[in-house]
Amino acid sequence: MKLCYAVGALAIVLAATLGFLRQRNQDAETRALTQARALAADVAARRPHPELAFAAVVGEPPASKYPFLRKRRWLLHPEAARVGRAVDDKDAHDLVAQAQRAGEVARFADDGTLTLALRAGGATAIVRLRPPGGKQPLPWGWLLLAIGLGGALAAAGRGRALAGAAGLALCAAICATMVAGPGSARLLVGLAALPGLALCWAHARGALAGLGRHGFAYAYVTPAGLGLLVLVLVPFAVGCVLGFFDHARGRYTFVGFGNFREILGSAEFYATLAVTIAWTAVNVLLHVAIGLALALALREPWVRLRGLFRVLLILPWAVPNYITALLWKGMFHQQYGAINTILSACGLARVSWFSGFVPAFAANVVTNTWLGFPFMMVVCLGALQSIPREVYEAAAVDGAGSVARFFRITLPLLRPALVPAVIIGSIWTFNQFNIIYLVSEGKPGGSTDILITEAYRWAFERGERYGLAAAYGLIIFLVLFAFCMLATRKRRAAEVT
Amino acid sequence: MAGHLFLSAATFLTLLPVLLVVRKAFTPGHAFAADLGLHVRDLTLVHFRQVLSAPHVGRQALNSLAVAAATTVIGVFLACTAAYAFARFRFPGRRAGLTAFLVVQMFPATLLTIPIYVILDHLHLLNRLSGLVLVYATTAIPFCVWMLKGYFETIPRDLEDAARIDGASRLGVFVRIVLPLSRPALAVTALFSFMTAWNEFILAETFLSREDAYTLPVVLAQYVGQRTTEWGHFAAGALLTALPVMVLFYALQKHLVAGLTAGGVKG
Repeated sequence: MKLCYAVGALAIVLAATLGFLRQRNQDAETRALTQARALAADVAARRPHPELAFAAVVGEPPASKYPFLRKRRWLLHPEAARVGRAVDDKDAHDLVAQAQRAGEVARFADDGTLTLALRAGGATAIVRLRPPGGKQPLPWGWLLLAIGLGGALAAAGRGRALAGAAGLALCAAICATMVAGPGSARLLVGLAALPGLALCWAHARGALAGLGRHGFAYAYVTPAGLGLLVLVLVPFAVGCVLGFFDHARGRYTFVGFGNFREILGSAEFYATLAVTIAWTAVNVLLHVAIGLALALALREPWVRLRGLFRVLLILPWAVPNYITALLWKGMFHQQYGAINTILSACGLARVSWFSGFVPAFAANVVTNTWLGFPFMMVVCLGALQSIPREVYEAAAVDGAGSVARFFRITLPLLRPALVPAVIIGSIWTFNQFNIIYLVSEGKPGGSTDILITEAYRWAFERGERYGLAAAYGLIIFLVLFAFCMLATRKRRAAEVT
Repeated sequence: MAGHLFLSAATFLTLLPVLLVVRKAFTPGHAFAADLGLHVRDLTLVHFRQVLSAPHVGRQALNSLAVAAATTVIGVFLACTAAYAFARFRFPGRRAGLTAFLVVQMFPATLLTIPIYVILDHLHLLNRLSGLVLVYATTAIPFCVWMLKGYFETIPRDLEDAARIDGASRLGVFVRIVLPLSRPALAVTALFSFMTAWNEFILAETFLSREDAYTLPVVLAQYVGQRTTEWGHFAAGALLTALPVMVLFYALQKHLVAGLTAGGVKG
């Protein structure tokens, strides 16, 4: 039942966002039309406009002495002529012909350009322009209201079938409004939603009473909760919706599962996924191995200057990780980098680190290992402290060697602390953006990119494909979610046995 | 003996890159060689002088400071109220809320970069530091909440009850008793928020495109960008930028570990 409400609430948010995007596109079109009309009027009056990609005035020739010469004359707009667009554009001809009959014709092309022909006086002006990118803010009030409704639903009707039905009706109503657009549909749907609202209110009153009892607590949680809602959950919901849209020049077009099909159907995705998994596994393995080895060494009773070693060894954790990344990028520089200087001093050949997959991947791994082992070391140190020495002494008395002691005592007793650390570490590494982005920069040819950098590149480096990037984000989320589920289930199972 | 050798080797490898950067910052030229030798006559402050006299650098440092300070104030304020409620009161939705704060902490901000970018674009908050502050504060809050909740739970309830009996209001108890008592934890939380904001690179790089709006990480990344590689300047700038937060980190690290693993173990 709870799940039902969670799904309902999410559906409301999704539908609302979807509707807003749609509305925004419509608004963009309206604004473009208004702008085009004003421009066309200006063009007809022969006032220049530098921002026009294409403009012309088609004049009916004045009554000629030679009617057989009567034909359309294209008076090129001076600015447009400089742009050099072909005037004998068939679409333009057709539009002008239609406009001369109808007064005004507008046509949106798939790439977002708008062509508008307008009859003004004796002449017909035709302009073509790109609608301005969507710079209109989303109606946040409505979005928050929708989310609030979803939340109220979830809270109000816990365990009540009737309220559940009402909630679902309300959901459907809001979805339909948002998708069906303005006008009579809104009214109808609003009416349909009224009984649902009434039922919800009846149940919400119970919840409100509870709210009064715990008012103080809620008042304290609300600011942070609201912050979280607006800046994490809303972006997450928006990201989910964006995944189903394609973005081109400020306009969003609904493409259904198109983005996902594009991603899952490309061989590169699986290559990137494989690289990401290899990257995570290698790094976490190295972090744990090095961290555990150092922790065990530090714990030995013969170690002098233990505090100093510990302080120095966690230094990488203290360095901001973008500085670490840039610093190692310098170390791996082919000509001036420290690593190659050492190699050539040892009589080895200099390596061009970022021209092959294996060295570039290795460079990333070295950087990330340097950065990440201190965390595991500190976790291991903490956990080792909680293992009493008597256990080892007892084992030694029973004749267990150091290897047996490590595998039979240390490892099992470290598990409870190590497993959560490994889970957190895996998630961090899986999304370790800065290292890949700054050290190898995906070189050579994007082969060392992991999923998160790939998503980033689609959004900000390859033509603003926000929709595709959001779809990538969703896939990353699902992969991590599945991983967490599996990991915690395994952990629970291990705890039970 | 072998153990000491192992530890020393590991420590040397750990320190090497840092030492190289320090050396680079004080020696002329931009090559980044593996040479630890240092001649006193080579020492120079020229990199520092050039980095500090770059255009906009004062403004950019101020940007970083302002963003970090605002993040700290907002983060701590929001986190301490929420953490107090989670620690002291039992109310419907408490478990769900705590879990939400934990899950959110696991999914880093980079994943939300794209939607946030689109949203900030619509809100006209790109290129504004306020946009960055909002995002950073939310990234820092979940950790702060878990950390503070742990601390608040150690404050004896009797203290609060006594104050209530003496006529203090609920708000009064929180402000006059609980907050002063948890000053150490508040300090840790504040420093953590500050570090988060001060060290963040990619969101700043994505959201800011005007040079006078840059924060320091973006400036540093530019010294070793696609076209230019001014390692000397980078090294000097990195020292100036990172040293304060590294000191902070050492002051904080015990609490950081406790906070991170506590969240993990309980989840």
